[in-house]
Amino acid sequence: MQTFTYTPPTPRQTLSAALAETKIRLINATRYPGQMLMEILIPIIFAAMPLLLGRSTGGANAAVYFEANTGTANFVAYMLIGSNVFAIVSYAFWHIAHWVRFEQETGTLEAVYTTPTSSTTLAAGVAIYSAIRGFGTAIIAYLLGCAIFRVNPFEGQVFLALLFLLIGLVPLYGFAFLFGALVLKIKESNALINLMQWVVSFLMGIFFPVTVLPAGIRFVAQLFPPTWMVNGVRSSLLGVGYFLENWYLDFAVLWAFLLFVPLFSVWVFQRVENNLRRNEGIGTF
Amino acid sequence: MTAFNQNSYQSPSISASLSSFWAMVRKEFTIMLRYPVEFLASFVQVFLIVIIFTLAGLMFSPEGAGGGASSEVTGVVSYGFILFLFLSDTLWSIGFNIRREQKQGTLEQIYMSPASKLAVLGSRVIITLIWTSILSVVAVWLLTNLLGDLPIHNIGLGLFVLIMALSGTFGTGFAFAALTLRVKESAQTAVNLLQFMFMIFCAPFFAFSALPEPLLWISRSIPLAYGVDLFRSTLMGFPNGFPELAPFGVELTIVTLFGIGMPILGIWLYQQAENHARRKGSLSEY
Repeated sequence: MQTFTYTPPTPRQTLSAALAETKIRLINATRYPGQMLMEILIPIIFAAMPLLLGRSTGGANAAVYFEANTGTANFVAYMLIGSNVFAIVSYAFWHIAHWVRFEQETGTLEAVYTTPTSSTTLAAGVAIYSAIRGFGTAIIAYLLGCAIFRVNPFEGQVFLALLFLLIGLVPLYGFAFLFGALVLKIKESNALINLMQWVVSFLMGIFFPVTVLPAGIRFVAQLFPPTWMVNGVRSSLLGVGYFLENWYLDFAVLWAFLLFVPLFSVWVFQRVENNLRRNEGIGTF
Repeated sequence: MTAFNQNSYQSPSISASLSSFWAMVRKEFTIMLRYPVEFLASFVQVFLIVIIFTLAGLMFSPEGAGGGASSEVTGVVSYGFILFLFLSDTLWSIGFNIRREQKQGTLEQIYMSPASKLAVLGSRVIITLIWTSILSVVAVWLLTNLLGDLPIHNIGLGLFVLIMALSGTFGTGFAFAALTLRVKESAQTAVNLLQFMFMIFCAPFFAFSALPEPLLWISRSIPLAYGVDLFRSTLMGFPNGFPELAPFGVELTIVTLFGIGMPILGIWLYQQAENHARRKGSLSEY
């Protein structure tokens, strides 16, 4: 009689499985060029709303008032940074939640549990794909937006701004994974994401500094990594001021998020997953 | 054996048509209520959109977030926001949701019944009218609390302009439903694009004067832009410089023609698209 012995996948196999997931999603994304174009245009159009609103509210003094309220007169770059970081954050939530829901609806999530590849590995693959797509389109949208509105995109410390973005991506996907657990639990993605998008944009201060929010809401906002990402990028490029006065202190907070959030999210996701598996919840949707 | 005689088919009576229409409205309303997360999300979403754009606008005022805005700014943003809500809901719930019937396979079934095919779209108009009106009232209440008093003048004329603008908007929704039958899932991208185009060229959140001249020419070619301009100018009591796109008489004529003509055009386009889909056998294809 033939005996089967199970050996857990090696780190190399795990990485290979995650990258395979990334690859299929990237191939799939290239099949929808219209969607990619929209992803570049939407942050620019979205930023144009407050810009035009500001021009009609503040008139000739728009830049002066804006500087008094935010710390920079470059309101074009300020809004474009907000809308593009928001786009990255939004795609993170969309892609993770959509992955969970899609696997659940098509019944493949159930199948994943019978393979040696864990759902966390696949989620990591989705996160890499999402980060490439979100980060890439946001950079293009920012450069294009700056060209359209005729502002210099390379003002300030560009390298530091990129670091804030890249470091912030890890805790961001940790949060998105936490959100994935919620989607898994309540079996609803579209409405939740729509709502989440606006909650996120409000908390991270998409078009305004979070310092204008009441103390309680500001505290909640600062528990959210994208708030530090967007302020870090704005401070590096436009000098609006770091939350903790120095860039390295704000950076340290992002690192703390980086260490804590992903581990916490994986723990929560696995708990929800185990709970659903025990109670016949994975295959039902 | 029961024989079916084609000649024995009778068109449904008016009361039967009304009854099936009412049943469709109830069905839509029941479906809406059965998804409490979606229901709650659409409500909270409006609150957040209002707060985000209000705070963004206040960054350009001398007092910042602590101060209010002039009544003119409040009027421009609030009245524009109402039409934005209606257009947005119309495109999604009337235009794009035909996909839901298609995916569920119920669109094909409706064509086998004597019920009016247009009632499918009409029932969604009723839901949009009720639900979006409630959202609009809440949004305006919130905006006046955040920004300051809302100017309200010429209520009768304002109501007429609103009815015409909404009628035209629903017509746009019907035309979009026709497009959805043709382009299927790609309609989702088209809805996003249309929504954003509306946000720029119809200026619901800002005065048209903020747009550069070349973009203003595009605005002038969109009838709904006149609806936005005339609606808020009327309710604001025609302050200096309003209406911005054309003289009052011209705008009123365009908006009235849009309100009457667009639903007719939208329905015609929808009927063409459904005939095409029936001939091609693509009603239940997605």
